[in-house]
Amino acid sequence: MTTPLIGVSKSILKIKELINHVANTCLNVLITGETGVGKEVVAQNLYSESSRSSKSFVKINCAALPETLLESELYGYEKGAFTGAHKKRPGKFQTADKGVLFLDEIGDMPMALQSKMLHVLQSGEFSPLGSDQEFKTDVWVIAATNHNLEESMRKKIFREDLFYRLNIIKIEIPPLRERKEDIPSLIEYYFRLYQSEYPDNLGTRPDSDILAKLCNYSWPGNVRQLQNCIKKQMILKSWEKIFEELPKEHPEIVSQFTDDSQQNGSSHYTKSGFQSDRTRIISEFVDLSTSSDKLFEDISLKKIKKLASDKVEKEVITFVLEKVGWNRSRASKILKISYKTLLYKMNEFKVHPPVK
Amino acid sequence: MSGKNKLLIVDDNDDIRSTFYEFFNSLGYEVKTAGDGLTALKLLKDKPNFFDCLITDLVMPNISGLGLIAIVKKEFPDIKIIAMTGYGDQPGALASEVKADSVFFKPVELIKIENKVSELINPNNDKQ
Ligand SMILES: Nc1ncnc2c1ncn2[C@@H]1O[C@H](COP(=O)(O)OP(=O)(O)OP(=O)(O)O)[C@@H](O)[C@H]1O
Ligand SMILES: [Mg+2]
Repeated sequence: MTTPLIGVSKSILKIKELINHVANTCLNVLITGETGVGKEVVAQNLYSESSRSSKSFVKINCAALPETLLESELYGYEKGAFTGAHKKRPGKFQTADKGVLFLDEIGDMPMALQSKMLHVLQSGEFSPLGSDQEFKTDVWVIAATNHNLEESMRKKIFREDLFYRLNIIKIEIPPLRERKEDIPSLIEYYFRLYQSEYPDNLGTRPDSDILAKLCNYSWPGNVRQLQNCIKKQMILKSWEKIFEELPKEHPEIVSQFTDDSQQNGSSHYTKSGFQSDRTRIISEFVDLSTSSDKLFEDISLKKIKKLASDKVEKEVITFVLEKVGWNRSRASKILKISYKTLLYKMNEFKVHPPVK
Repeated sequence: MSGKNKLLIVDDNDDIRSTFYEFFNSLGYEVKTAGDGLTALKLLKDKPNFFDCLITDLVMPNISGLGLIAIVKKEFPDIKIIAMTGYGDQPGALASEVKADSVFFKPVELIKIENKVSELINPNNDKQ
């Protein structure tokens, strides 16, 4: 079911109007905005208001798959096209025929695949891997990204010709902090939704003080983060606890994260640590450059969870220790763990005070 | 058909819009302007048989000039279309692909655009 595009701000109303005027044009659409602002919601609304709504909506995430796998997902392959291709498989361009192909995270598509994509968009034809035949495709392409593609073009990591080809209709969704008027209606919508999903929970609607606080928070994770808070509140039954758990707005931390992502060669709209540069994050823990078979063997959520939580714990412990001048008993209190646990973890993660 | 030729000028740059407005207005055209593709599309839908010619920039917010041209070609096939672009040949190439009647590269000479407009609107009248 399509999520309705909730909001009363000028920008959301304008987006609704735009959707209404372009849903039947089949012109390529590029949707941009920070993580969690509702890019996919907009894509679904375009689809459901279009004359293609009875056909399929096919989504592919260009950041989640390594290059070769992404290519075969998009275009399909013939039997024997590569080792492991035991039988012919259709690609997304084929399954989305007459419907919508949603290219999510297009800004993360490798250059080589960008050229191929450009060719398909120009000619309306594609050929599956291992086939020399070209097939006609009639898909409505809707692409989304949280990268600033103008910046990516300057850095030569996104093709200009592909950009202009996609950017026929541009839908820019501003971050939630720039349209605070939408916050009350989003809260109401999700509050009702979760109330009907969990009828015996005891969550409460925010009173005016809490609402003011919610409206003033910067929501680096945008609507997704707000939605998660409302859901959590249904279980925790306390807005105070929700506020305690919200990431604080630390300017130093924020700028550090931004610098990191720039060194990585990727540019994001977001000024916080909550961007979803999916491949970058995943590749810290798994080698994405291997074949898909090997990759799928390597991915174990349990293993990754441990690696990821260790990494974050180590940083947090070091951060707090530095703040308190390496006073371990104070640090353990701040971290809300026992002194013994802290010593154990410092040892495990090799966190040592600087040598004087 | 009575009197003035009617133009719709679309550009996200205020200066360009007002310069074009004054120039064509002083030559006796009836001119309307829009700062983005959606505003332009709404004007067109409001007055379906009104405009003779659309002059549009290509790179604009929401509906780009390319999108606008494609829509106008389909829904208002009688309107003549002139595209202008300041972004090198990328969007320009696409503009001929979506079949603008003519493409100009910025900076444009107003007088040349006017020549083109009158040639497109009145193909039989030789310009005096
Ligand atoms: N205007 C809105 N009305 C209702 N729900 C919304 C709205 N915007 C976002 N959401 C909800 O917030 C969550 C995140 O939205 P969505 O997945 O569309 O974001 P996104 O921009 O695609 O994020 P990402 O860049 O991380 O992929 C979803 O659960 C979606 O339903
Ligand atoms: Mg998304």
